[in-house]
Amino acid sequence: MRAWARLLALDLRRLTRSAGTAAAIILLLVLGIYGAWRAGRNAEVARSSLAAAETAYDDQLDFLLSVYPPTTDAGEVLYYVAFPAPQPPLPVSALARGRAAVETESLRIRLLALEGQLYEHETVNPRLAAAGYLDLAFLLIALLPLFIIAVSYDLISGEREGGTWNLVRLFAPRRRLLAAKLASRAILVGAVAAVVMAAGALMAGIDLDGRAGWMFALVALHTIFWFALCLGVAMGNRSSTANAMILAGTWVVLTILAPAALSLANAVLHPVPEALELTVQQRQGYHEAWDLPPSATMESFYRDYPEWSGQAVPEDVFTWGWYYAMNHRGDQAARDASRAYREVLRERDAWARRWSLFAPPLATQLALDRLAGTDLAAQLDYQDAVRRFHERLKDHFFPHFFATAPIDAVKWDQVPRFEPAAPAGNAARAGFPAAITLILASGLALGVGARRARA
Amino acid sequence: MRNSPEGLRNTLLIARRQLGAIRQDGTVLFLLGLVIALGLVAVVGARHHATGATEQRDRYQAMVDRQWVEQPERHPHRVIHYGFLVFREQAPLEFVDPGVSDYAGTSIYLEGHRQNTANFGEARHSTGMTRFGRLTPASVLALLLPLLVVVAGFAAVSAEREGGTLGVLLTQGATPAQILAGKVLATGAVGALATLPVALAVGVMAGPGLDSPASVTRLGVLAGIYGIYLAGWVLVTVLVSAVRTSSRSALAQLLALWVVICVATPRVAASVAGALYPLPSRAELTAQVEQALNEVGDSHRPDDPFFNALREEYLERYQVGAVEDLPVNWRGVLSRESEALTSRVFEDHRQELVKGHLRQNGVMAWSGFLSPYLAARDLSMGIAGSGPEAMEAFLAQAEAHRYTIIQRLNELHIREIQNENDRAQRLSREHWGQFPVFATEPPPLGGALADRPVSLAALGLWIGLPLTGLGLARRRLALIGTERSS
Repeated sequence: MRAWARLLALDLRRLTRSAGTAAAIILLLVLGIYGAWRAGRNAEVARSSLAAAETAYDDQLDFLLSVYPPTTDAGEVLYYVAFPAPQPPLPVSALARGRAAVETESLRIRLLALEGQLYEHETVNPRLAAAGYLDLAFLLIALLPLFIIAVSYDLISGEREGGTWNLVRLFAPRRRLLAAKLASRAILVGAVAAVVMAAGALMAGIDLDGRAGWMFALVALHTIFWFALCLGVAMGNRSSTANAMILAGTWVVLTILAPAALSLANAVLHPVPEALELTVQQRQGYHEAWDLPPSATMESFYRDYPEWSGQAVPEDVFTWGWYYAMNHRGDQAARDASRAYREVLRERDAWARRWSLFAPPLATQLALDRLAGTDLAAQLDYQDAVRRFHERLKDHFFPHFFATAPIDAVKWDQVPRFEPAAPAGNAARAGFPAAITLILASGLALGVGARRARA
Repeated sequence: MRNSPEGLRNTLLIARRQLGAIRQDGTVLFLLGLVIALGLVAVVGARHHATGATEQRDRYQAMVDRQWVEQPERHPHRVIHYGFLVFREQAPLEFVDPGVSDYAGTSIYLEGHRQNTANFGEARHSTGMTRFGRLTPASVLALLLPLLVVVAGFAAVSAEREGGTLGVLLTQGATPAQILAGKVLATGAVGALATLPVALAVGVMAGPGLDSPASVTRLGVLAGIYGIYLAGWVLVTVLVSAVRTSSRSALAQLLALWVVICVATPRVAASVAGALYPLPSRAELTAQVEQALNEVGDSHRPDDPFFNALREEYLERYQVGAVEDLPVNWRGVLSRESEALTSRVFEDHRQELVKGHLRQNGVMAWSGFLSPYLAARDLSMGIAGSGPEAMEAFLAQAEAHRYTIIQRLNELHIREIQNENDRAQRLSREHWGQFPVFATEPPPLGGALADRPVSLAALGLWIGLPLTGLGLARRRLALIGTERSS
């Protein structure tokens, strides 16, 4: 045991003394600390974005109530009011940004037709978005494996080519030597990953709940997977350069090509023409209503809200009940297109999740986004929550419109508040498939490597 | 390098020797085939994608235009709210490099009283799988081809040294410059071999998009940019191979360089740009606009100071006692003035955002010195017509179009609608056919290049630095020659 520890210490020293390894460690740590700081900033920005929506609502209400006399029709003032629908992000979302970088979950919703209001996005600069973004998930899933490859590709071949293999084998059995070399690398990589994750958790204020636990576990398994792959390749009797090419090639295939190919296939299999359809339909459905008698609009409105079918609106004068019913007609016209659109996106999401299991890093990436609540499904869940909110607002305010109530009849403290969507899926279900994939893939890599070593 | 026929012959001999070695290396051939296959898939896939998107846009634009013309008799203010949708037309070469178009809006709903954001393109519907973007001809050329070049050339000089053949070559009369030139030639040939089918496919697939000489020029310049970028990789590869002691460390160093240039730096640059020049969030921006709108006033609100003053002015000008007696439609006047005010507020805020984008883009451009990948992509998207400025041009043109049409409708309201019983009146249908149609005009090629001096300089440096390095490495090789021969 003492000998083994000495071997390990020796190898660690040899590793860290190499200028390239030291530079890579420093680079990773700098990026990691920077990424952690950015994660903290992200959490802050998300909080201020939520607060901005609430404050703006209060300010707007104060302003409107100060300029409109209390006898004004409620419908006229409510035309301007945008109700906040802020979805508090999960704390862990700071680590895996997913779509949070481009989507907003702090919409404000007016009582008008909903479909036109749902698809606002973040104020993102397309140039930056196209370059890709850097979060801790990217650092740990895409960059860390490259470091693992860099320190492990010549695990055995390096000694052989350096002529030291036979020499060291004199003093230690092959297995023990390999174990020591692996352990020293695992310590190095593990330390870097641990520092980065701890910094991220600290700076973004993440408490260690089930989601964070799963995320850290997945990152750990993913790291082990790359070690297994490196070991599997190293056991074959190839030269260091061949190993380096095989491993770098594997990284390119798993990290760049497989996602691009799967994404292309996904887009071809599940095209989304409905995105434009629903905009066109909603606009047409709403505006046509102006050219129809109010009773025609109200009839289709009562189909969705039979409880109000007793509330007739006059045919010859403008009423706010009719106005908002016309807006509802816009949503009705877009309903099929909207449902089809969401279904296609759900299909894309499910398909991506299923097929990503063939590329373990991709599966890990998607699982992390899911755990962080920043994936496509979370975005769709948010939109559904906003739909429910819009319905509850309508339920609350339509009686005011039908009764032509004045604005001071509105009891603002009883107005429905947005109920955030529940965090997508449960943590174990989100993380489990990726974890199994990683374990199986690690076993496979080691198994194939061992067979080649014996052959 | 001596420019004698013998020197050229030696260079070619070395190149042939290197190509022979490459031909025997299965890995390079395999990778060559793979890159070509991926390039072809990328061209076909990107073309398919672009055609689909164009068809979809054409279909909806035609539909929306028809709906506009076929409107029934309507009150002009009704039509202001009805609004219209415009779609960004794709540039002919956008399929080669989609640039930022996946992340910028492709369609925008234009209406009165509001400035909507352009709704999201392809990225909106993606599942978060493509952190490296879609597979496009540009990504194959800029991201994957350098890897092929590295694999084909990392051992070019170092293997000769390891095998002891470098000294032999030198003693047989080949100068170090000829050796290096030959190696560069051979490595470059592999890169060219992979590029050619992709370039040909682009030429063939561009088909209808290439009917104008301007597009052909663009394609030529695009080829030039990627040629320079890849030549830089060839030079760097041979240089590293010449100065490293072993092939193994040359490969490790080149792969690390690729990771830094193509994978890490672009993201770090984007992240730093965002941190240096943060943008307001959508929620904050909306709140700011609302605040500003409250300040300029609203013609719908009773006792609005601005519009009260306007009323006094009109009553005075036409010498009447009440707005109902004005010879022009008062509500139309209100709407026109209100649109002028609110449009300015929206446009000011949008311009603020654009300024933020420009500052961030500046960081990206300067990062081109650290990552020639960024420089090449920046130039490439500019030439292809899919850069940020093309998206901004679309938004600016759409806003100008919106303003023109809304104010024309307001003028119709002012002139054609009587004050009395205003809301019940309608304009006849022939009016709808007389509005201008929207067309996107992409920025010119000269502008795209002139706007990117930093990226051009960065790409120049990417060639210049390794050339200088090779000049220095030549001396070191010469030293080996004298050691051996002495």
